Amino acid sequence: MIDTKPRTRETQFVSTREVGLWGRMLQGDRWLIILFLLPTLAFLIFLLWLPFLQGIWMSFHNWPFIGKPKWVGLQNYRDFVTASYFWTTIRATLIYSLSTVFQLGIALIAALALNQKFIPLKGIWWGIMLMPYAMPPVVTGAIWMYLLDPNLGMVTHYLIKLGILSEPIYWASDPTWAKWVITLVVSWTFWPFMFLIILSALQSIPESYYELAEVYGANLWQRFRTVTWPHIRGAVLAAFIIRIVWNLEKIDQPFQLTGGGPGYETSVLSVLTYRFAFLSGDFGMAFTVGIFLIAFMMILMIPFLRRFQILITQAGKRG
Amino acid sequence: MAQVTDRSSFVHKTLAYAGLIFVLSLILIPYSYIALTAFKPPGEVFEVEWLPREWSLEAWRYTFKTVEFQKYIFNSFIAGLGAAILSIFIAVPGAYIFGRKQLRGKEIFFYIITVALLFPYVLLIVPITITWIRIGLYDTLPGLWIAYQIFIIPFALWILRGFFAELPPSLEECAMVYGCTQFQAFYRVMLPLARPVIVSLLFMTFLIGWSDFLFSNMLTTGEGPRTASVILYVTAVGGERVEWEVLMVMTLMAGIPPVLLYILAQKQLMKTFAVRRR
Repeated sequence: MIDTKPRTRETQFVSTREVGLWGRMLQGDRWLIILFLLPTLAFLIFLLWLPFLQGIWMSFHNWPFIGKPKWVGLQNYRDFVTASYFWTTIRATLIYSLSTVFQLGIALIAALALNQKFIPLKGIWWGIMLMPYAMPPVVTGAIWMYLLDPNLGMVTHYLIKLGILSEPIYWASDPTWAKWVITLVVSWTFWPFMFLIILSALQSIPESYYELAEVYGANLWQRFRTVTWPHIRGAVLAAFIIRIVWNLEKIDQPFQLTGGGPGYETSVLSVLTYRFAFLSGDFGMAFTVGIFLIAFMMILMIPFLRRFQILITQAGKRG
Repeated sequence: MAQVTDRSSFVHKTLAYAGLIFVLSLILIPYSYIALTAFKPPGEVFEVEWLPREWSLEAWRYTFKTVEFQKYIFNSFIAGLGAAILSIFIAVPGAYIFGRKQLRGKEIFFYIITVALLFPYVLLIVPITITWIRIGLYDTLPGLWIAYQIFIIPFALWILRGFFAELPPSLEECAMVYGCTQFQAFYRVMLPLARPVIVSLLFMTFLIGWSDFLFSNMLTTGEGPRTASVILYVTAVGGERVEWEVLMVMTLMAGIPPVLLYILAQKQLMKTFAVRRR
């Protein structure tokens, strides 16, 4: 695993000066590498992969919060696939995953606007744009809960005043509206992550490229297509894939706004996991649902994986 | 789009300003309404008026005296701080090796980090909760600190590895010519160079701990180190009647410190994200 070639050369330099106990222990690459990798490896093993395997083991059990687990084999999986709410929850997850697209839209608009030279006070706008992302999701969830309240919320009030709605929508008990509300709230909350990544990609584009494009008579759209987009495509793709996974895991706001209801209508797979774990204390079933979440994420990522793979191997070789 | 000032067309400017105003209004309208609501007396939250007719600190008094929300804010602070410090000790050395050492098959490291980054951590609440109960970490602050690492470390490794990899390759060798050991080269040369990135990671990881609901709700009970997020959730969902003005005071108390931190760390954050452009 460890390439020993450069080591001999480096140890020569070390001996030139008196080194303490630590120094002696850490002479040469090998010790340093092992010592430095230990915490990260411990993390990967004890906080990611072992719990993951343990979870798979648990999913074959009827595993209560307190008490003795009982082996049930594939019963949990069978129960979930045949449950009446199975397709309801898949549909909810699909709609919820659209939040990634909305986030990309807002983030692109914001980043492109803020990257223009003639815009003044950039620092202030930047700070404001990060507010939804900086605050705890439960905080922004509470804010929207109030603003969207059918009886006393500001949004309903103005929509009725403008004649767009004729009566308040009780979205928390409406299957369709409940799904869209949690999707839009999660979009509103987390778009600045993509914004940050796209903005820094934009800022790395040399200005001379634009000047050149202009010399050739490229209009606004052509400049975007030939200069801007090729430069930010990689960053957009990376941010998009990360957000597909991260958005599907955001349970704070759905849990707070609808609690996964009415019925199972807004029980996105991750919310359902949390419902089984936190509300019913059925840990075996909770992890079973989690396995389906992984499968769902993988299916969503397939169209992007080839490009992403190329991106990763490039970055991996470069780094 | 073009970064040329003088020749920017009218359409170009209009589009940029329209975009900016659209996004800013999406954010500013909700927040300003909320900030004003926190100063309304209890009776006034049921009507849609921007300015309170009578400015009132009643909601603030209730939040401090009856709910004692500051206690939970303090818990959030400690939870975030501990998680941030712990994450640096785990991620910095690992990312340094991933980013700089010539090991065979180093692309594998990149895959390890990427898989960790895309790992759906929400399902880990299941085994983590059970294990924490078993080994006595349930309902304790260290239990929260360790659990938060699941969100933090993959992202921190991703950012830091990229940063270390982009530093000039001969840095350590130079340090060692001047008599530094391997460790001293890391400690005296690499760490100071990485300070801006580490600082912004400290900010971000602190905020992950401060904001978290997933683990805080799952791993603590009423007597334990409940964080502000959990109390906010309970206040918004539990009980027959929501006291909106109190809830809005809580959102301000839990929401404003992170925003201030982000603004303080703006310069470092921009640099940190710039690293990730590849």
